[in-house]
Amino acid sequence: MTETLIIEAKEDTPKIVFDPANRLFQISASSLPENAIGFYEPVIKWLNDYSVNPIDLTVFDFSFEYFNTASAKQIAKILLILENIAKEHEVVINWHYKKEDSDMLSSGSRFSKLIDLNFNFVGY
Amino acid sequence: MQSDNTDFLRFVFILFKAMQKDNLGYVYRGRFTQEITDNILALTENKLEKEEQSSKIKKRVYSILVECLQNITRHQNDIKDDLPDNNGLFVIQKHDDKYFITTGNMVMNNNIDYIKKLIETINSLEKEDLKNYYKIVLEGGSLSSKGGAGLGLIDMARKSGNKLHYHFSRINKDSSFFYLHTIPSLEGIEGSLEHKEESLNNIINIHNTLNKENILLVSNGPFNQESLMILLGSLEGQMKGTISHKKKVFYIVVEMLQNIVKHGYTLDSSHNSVPGVFIIGENKGLYTIITGNYVDINKTKALKKKLENVNSLSMEKLDEYFNKCLFNFESDSSKKAGLGIIDLRIKSGNPLSYSFIKTAQDSVFFSLQTVITTV
Repeated sequence: MTETLIIEAKEDTPKIVFDPANRLFQISASSLPENAIGFYEPVIKWLNDYSVNPIDLTVFDFSFEYFNTASAKQIAKILLILENIAKEHEVVINWHYKKEDSDMLSSGSRFSKLIDLNFNFVGY
Repeated sequence: MQSDNTDFLRFVFILFKAMQKDNLGYVYRGRFTQEITDNILALTENKLEKEEQSSKIKKRVYSILVECLQNITRHQNDIKDDLPDNNGLFVIQKHDDKYFITTGNMVMNNNIDYIKKLIETINSLEKEDLKNYYKIVLEGGSLSSKGGAGLGLIDMARKSGNKLHYHFSRINKDSSFFYLHTIPSLEGIEGSLEHKEESLNNIINIHNTLNKENILLVSNGPFNQESLMILLGSLEGQMKGTISHKKKVFYIVVEMLQNIVKHGYTLDSSHNSVPGVFIIGENKGLYTIITGNYVDINKTKALKKKLENVNSLSMEKLDEYFNKCLFNFESDSSKKAGLGIIDLRIKSGNPLSYSFIKTAQDSVFFSLQTVITTV
C-alpha cells in the first residue's frame, strides 16, 4: 500500500492527509499559493502512484475554506485521477462548504457536472 | 457600462504616481472602529517588523500610531452625523528612512482657533517645557470638553521628538478637515520643512481624490505573495456586509492581487515584488476593487482581447469558457492569464472596466476595475 502523505496547512496552502490504511483522503483549509503547480506536484504524484493499487472504497473529502483559480486547475487534475480510479473501484467525493459560501458550493457543483464521479455536498 | 474606461480610470494612475512620489504605503479613509484601528496597527506592526531594524524606532512609531488613531476615534463623533463626508483619514509613508504619519478628521470651525493655538504652543516648547506643560494640562484638565484632546497632541509631540504640522481645509461654514502630520524621529533631526509641506500637500490632493471617488483604502505595492497575505488579513475587519458578500469580495481581491503578482511588470527585476496599487471603494454596500500595475507592452493586445471577449459573453457562454480553461492544462506552465479574469467576471456579475495608459517605451499602466453587486 502507498505510504501516507501528510502536509500541514500554511496560511496560503491547504492541509493534505492521504492515509489509505485509515481510509483518509482529505484536503482542507485555504489554497491560494503563488505557485499552485509547485505545491500540488507531490500531491498529484502521490495520487497517481496510489491509483495503481487503490483501496476498494476511496472517500475523498474536500473542505476548502477558500481556493484561487490557479488551485482550481490543480483540483481538476486531482478529480481526473479519481475519475480514473472510479472506473474499477468505488470513489465518493464529499464536497464540504460553509452554508453562507455559495461560491464554494457552485465551484463544487461545477466540478460534479464536468467529472463523472459521485459527489455529496455537505453544508456546514 | 463602457469597458475601456480610460478617462474614468485615469485617476488610478494619478493616484499611483502621487503615492509613489512620496512612498505612501497605506491610506485608509472611513469610519474608525476599534476593529479597524486594531487592523491598521497590526498591518503597520508587520510592516515595521520587516522593514525596520531599530527596535527603538519601531516602538516609537508604534506608540505614536496608537496615539494618532485614538485621536481620530475620540473626535470623529464631535461632528453631527448628518454631514455626508465625515470620514477619518490615516496615512503612513516612509521617506528617506523616516516615517510620516498623517491623520485627518473633521472639526467644527469654532474649534479651529483653539487647536491652532494649542499646536503653536506645543511647537514653541522645548522638550523639558513640554513635559511640564503636559503636567499642567493633565492637572488642569479643563482645556477640552473631551478631556484628552490637548494631552493627545502634547503626547504626540513628545513621542515624535518633532514639531507637529497641520492644515485645515474648509468644508463649509460649520466644519473643516483637520490634517495632522507627525514625523517620529530618534534624535529630533527634522527633514527640511519644505519637504514636509510638499508631502502634506500631496496627501491633501490624494485625499481629495479619495473623497471624490469614495475610496476606502489604498495600498501601494510593492506586491508579492507575502504582502498580499498581510493585506488580505487586514481587509477582513474593514469590510461590512453579510458573510457571503464578504467572501465574494475576498475571492475577487485574491484574484486581482495575484494578477498583479503574476503579470505585473517591473523594470527592476532584482526585486521579487511588483509595483502597483490596490484600491477598495465602497458605496452603499457596493464594493469597487481596482488594481493598477505596469504590463509589458507586447502583452497588452492579448490582454485587451481577452477582456473584450470576457465582457461580451453571456453568463452561459462564460461558464463554458471557464470550463474549457479549467481543463486546459497546456497553458499551465505559461504565465498566460488563465482563469482569473473569467472568474472575476463571473463572480462579480458585472462587466470589467479597464484602461491602458502608455507610460514608457516598453510598458503600459493597466488598471482593472471590478464592481461587486450585492447578492
